[in-house]
Amino acid sequence: MSTVTGWRSRLAFVVMLTAWSIPGAQAQAAPATGIVIVTGQQATTPVPTLMEGAANGVGNQDVADQLFLRLAELGPKAQTAGDRDFVPALARSWTRRDSTTLVFDLDSRARWHDGTPVTARDVVFTFKRAKNPDLAPRVSDLLRQIVSVAAEGDSRVVFRFARPYAEQLYDATYHVAPIPFHLLDSIPPDSVSRSSFATSPIGSGPYRWVRSVPGQFVELAAVPDFFLGKPKIARVILRTAVEPSARLNLLLSGQADAMDIIPPPSVNQVAADTTLRLIAVPSSTMGFLLFNQRDPKNRARPHSILADNRVRRAITFGLDRRQLVQAVFGSHGMVPYGPVSQLLWIRHRSPRAEGPNVNEARRLLAATGWGDSDADGTLDRDGHPLRLVLSVPNTSGIRRQMALLIQEQLRRIGVQIEILQLEFPIYLERRAAGDFDVDFSSVNQDPSPSGLTQSWACTGGNNVAGYCDRGVDSVMEQAVRGRGDPGERWIEALRKIEEDAAATFLYAPAFMYAVNRRFRGVTITPQSAWLTLRKWSVSPVPVAGRSR
Amino acid sequence: MTSILEILRSAWRNPRGRTGALLLLIVAVAALVGPWLLPDPLAQPDILAGGLPPGVGHPFGTDQLSRDVLARVVNGARISLGVSVLAVALSVTLGAAVGIVAGYWGGAIDAALMRLVDGALAIPRLFILLLVLAVWERVPVLALILIIGVTGWFATSRLVRGEVLRIREEGYVQAAEALGARRRRIIFRHLLPNALGPLLVAATLGVGDVILLEAGLSFLGLGIQPPTPSWGGMILDSREVMVSAPWTGIFPGLAIVVTVLSANLFGDALRDAVDPRSA
Amino acid sequence: MGGWLLRRALQAVVTLAIATALLFVLMRAAPGDPLFRLSADRPISQKEIEVLRARYGLDQPVGRQLAAFLGGLVHGDLGVSIEYGRPVTALLAERLPATLLLGGSVLLLNFTVGLWLGVRQAVRRGAREDRWLTTLSLTGYAMPSFWLGLMLAWLVGVEWRLLPAAGMQDPLLSSDAGWLTRAGDVLRHLVLPVLTLSVVSIAATMRYQRAAMLEVLHLPYIVTARAKGLPERLVTWRHAWRNALFPVITLFGLWLPILVSGSVFVEAVFAWPGLGSLAAGAVGGRDYPLLMGASLLVAALVVAGGFLTDVAYALLDPRVRIG
Repeated sequence: MSTVTGWRSRLAFVVMLTAWSIPGAQAQAAPATGIVIVTGQQATTPVPTLMEGAANGVGNQDVADQLFLRLAELGPKAQTAGDRDFVPALARSWTRRDSTTLVFDLDSRARWHDGTPVTARDVVFTFKRAKNPDLAPRVSDLLRQIVSVAAEGDSRVVFRFARPYAEQLYDATYHVAPIPFHLLDSIPPDSVSRSSFATSPIGSGPYRWVRSVPGQFVELAAVPDFFLGKPKIARVILRTAVEPSARLNLLLSGQADAMDIIPPPSVNQVAADTTLRLIAVPSSTMGFLLFNQRDPKNRARPHSILADNRVRRAITFGLDRRQLVQAVFGSHGMVPYGPVSQLLWIRHRSPRAEGPNVNEARRLLAATGWGDSDADGTLDRDGHPLRLVLSVPNTSGIRRQMALLIQEQLRRIGVQIEILQLEFPIYLERRAAGDFDVDFSSVNQDPSPSGLTQSWACTGGNNVAGYCDRGVDSVMEQAVRGRGDPGERWIEALRKIEEDAAATFLYAPAFMYAVNRRFRGVTITPQSAWLTLRKWSVSPVPVAGRSR
Repeated sequence: MTSILEILRSAWRNPRGRTGALLLLIVAVAALVGPWLLPDPLAQPDILAGGLPPGVGHPFGTDQLSRDVLARVVNGARISLGVSVLAVALSVTLGAAVGIVAGYWGGAIDAALMRLVDGALAIPRLFILLLVLAVWERVPVLALILIIGVTGWFATSRLVRGEVLRIREEGYVQAAEALGARRRRIIFRHLLPNALGPLLVAATLGVGDVILLEAGLSFLGLGIQPPTPSWGGMILDSREVMVSAPWTGIFPGLAIVVTVLSANLFGDALRDAVDPRSA
Repeated sequence: MGGWLLRRALQAVVTLAIATALLFVLMRAAPGDPLFRLSADRPISQKEIEVLRARYGLDQPVGRQLAAFLGGLVHGDLGVSIEYGRPVTALLAERLPATLLLGGSVLLLNFTVGLWLGVRQAVRRGAREDRWLTTLSLTGYAMPSFWLGLMLAWLVGVEWRLLPAAGMQDPLLSSDAGWLTRAGDVLRHLVLPVLTLSVVSIAATMRYQRAAMLEVLHLPYIVTARAKGLPERLVTWRHAWRNALFPVITLFGLWLPILVSGSVFVEAVFAWPGLGSLAAGAVGGRDYPLLMGASLLVAALVVAGGFLTDVAYALLDPRVRIG
């Protein structure tokens, strides 16, 4: 029967589809004037002092790093102690007046994107806002050692600190980049996030804001007269996809040029694509098994099994950490010594992590009274089995994978691990409340080792396991103050933490980043992936083909 | 009023229905017996050899943790089928109960119940489940079955209520009441048997729907929690390696398709048997 | 008619109110707390938590929160999203068009291809074509949308590079590109997500339409028309079809919730910037205001769809208005 919606309309549909595909196929060999970077999180308020709470994420930070230039940038070695590893940016030089005073001289060529020169008044204004604990609780806490920021003339800024310590320059430059006084002063501090400034920020960085298409991408354009050199890549697109598979697909189908943190299982596949270059970047991530020293049901009492450091050390010896890291991260993972990710500069001086020693593990467990009286494979003592619950957030594929391997490895020394996978908010809640036996933790560390005090000092805000060693506290304090060689002090702290087996430190990976080969001069700084974007160049001819 | 046995027999005679029933049987057997023959391989001899493509020894390949995909699919069958059958049983029972109450008692009770049903039907079932599961902790399997079951009775209650109303109009009920029959007798002798046909259809088709729903929830990380194997969870894990090891995602998906398809084939045949005009 | 319309509209409002109450109770019965998500891997100070808690009104008792929410609702204010820091209404408004585009395209395909196939099946009932199409449609209906999406994105987008694997538009399209190019670009991105959702929905539409058509084809006046010698084609498309339109209208009302649900998965897999992906993201982050707003919007759409369906029915069949 000849029908209304018959073969004619079908044909028309197919023809239309083909017709649309053709110009599209041509457009896919994209003009080499831009770079498309895949992200998992869209930038909503990429403005320093506004990145608090939920807005404190890599999505906002990456964009803010392009829009707003810092006083000085941290170099690739991420050496946060001392004044040496910093590169001039907004400030062209700095000097010390005394052990608690730092003076910056701003580069007179620096301009805001609307042409206004950057002056000392901007810096003073920025720190006034940043140090306000009601507006910026996170940042103000990081800046607590800074007592005052004052202008001397138009281009000189004087920082005064509460006491002498090693990371003064780091604190003054890293945590917050200056924001423009002339545009923000008139806006009351708590309305800034709703103002037009937040939706199209004006900064002093190498790229300026063009537009944001909700749920899709953010577009930035190069600032042609950027005083440190015009960026060679004209456009930067940060393209958002929340689903990991969608992100990978964007990269592998050629719709995107660069991506940070390729999931370890997919590295081989990306490597097979010859249009992409893989770069190993030390990561700020560090994963560890945190032992609860307190009874999760009653925080006043010690943990019935884990309070004894021999048991904790036995678990550490019982795990073949090298094998775990190899299985999940391939050749780019390290077993850390102490709570140190590949980002921290102190790892270069720390000893190597110990290998497994199953016999020692068994000996330690036997010494603490654990034996297998009912021959069921699990050790027990006084009728209680050696059973521990390992809390894992179900959002981390890496930790879920490793938890299974850990369970198997520990089974061999008679320790029974029950894996409890929790939805992320519940996981966090329980962790904060100390409601766990063993918490499979993962942190993203700041470049400064002083962050370690949060988790490993007796009064650390993030010390949920109840670990407390006065010796460690005092050594860390010395390191922070710069008494003696900070490096040595930190290593000593690490040694104590390791010896006491406060946790089993499992992995410190280097993640693989992918960048299309047509981009030259590519470097990736560990603490901020695309920071050096303005120095990259792009070859005019699109790289042909892809093979798999 | 055809008896259940006749309905089943008629569905069996239908070639598509027969195919569906047989496939379902195979899946059910695999779900019951399979996990003994192919235990869930949590212990693997060689941690470092993962992601093998389908081949000798591993008909469905292995995933990145060296776990045999076939074994995981078979183990997942037990969970998926178990959850679905139990949840649907709950839904159908609740729906029938509410439908009968609403249809038979009528009046204000009927109006109130149907208003509630309307309100609940306005929110897509997935969204209700997303909210409930996002709000409560790691849900044990039993609770998951309960939650899915409790959110699935609305349409069935409408169906049963319709049947009850129809039967009332046919006079059986009035006659029985006139003869002094007790309510319970009327419900169980007249109303329920008539509703059984459509209920069976709804149940069979419902199993397919719930399998898809549970898979979707597991895909979002909300349903069955790993390491318990579930088809949706396997597809979730396969996302990151879809390009390099697609078999980790293809086979669980095919398992879902085959199971739901067979449930639908059989359910369709049942429906044809109950209401021949739609054959 | 006017009285009926008013009653029906009132019914719709009541339904929506019940749905709203249900949603709010479900969500606030939570043991979880959205702010804890933020202490992900950076230590979060107590001070920071307190400031944020006050900012989002989470330190108020539940009753007060409900009152605040309802008060805001009356003014069209659905609160501020915790994750995005922006008004929920703005976020929903931004993302709704993409979902409507996706859903609308799928509906279009349903009403053309799905309808046509269903009618064809009914007319050729029992023939081999009918049986094959039935099997095909049942297979399509059995596919999990997220799985199909993953397969298509991988095969068509990555392996064969025929169509974009994700996203809604090409960000590198130069700003002076004409609207035709832009439309073409969006269309290319639309194909895979629409295909994924359509496979499932067309399968169901076919089944439904087939059944509906079959009912109609047996009606006395159709039989009469045939007996009178009217050609089959005219019987189908002049008479029978219009009667079979009723179930189709019902279908439209039914499909809304299903399309919105399916879009949660499909939008996530294809990074399609619509309501579905917004909701999927909000679930993990316990973004209460956003979750509530999205669910409410969906419920409102469904209720509106049902209302419009009834109105269409009433317009087509006067008997309905009296009942």
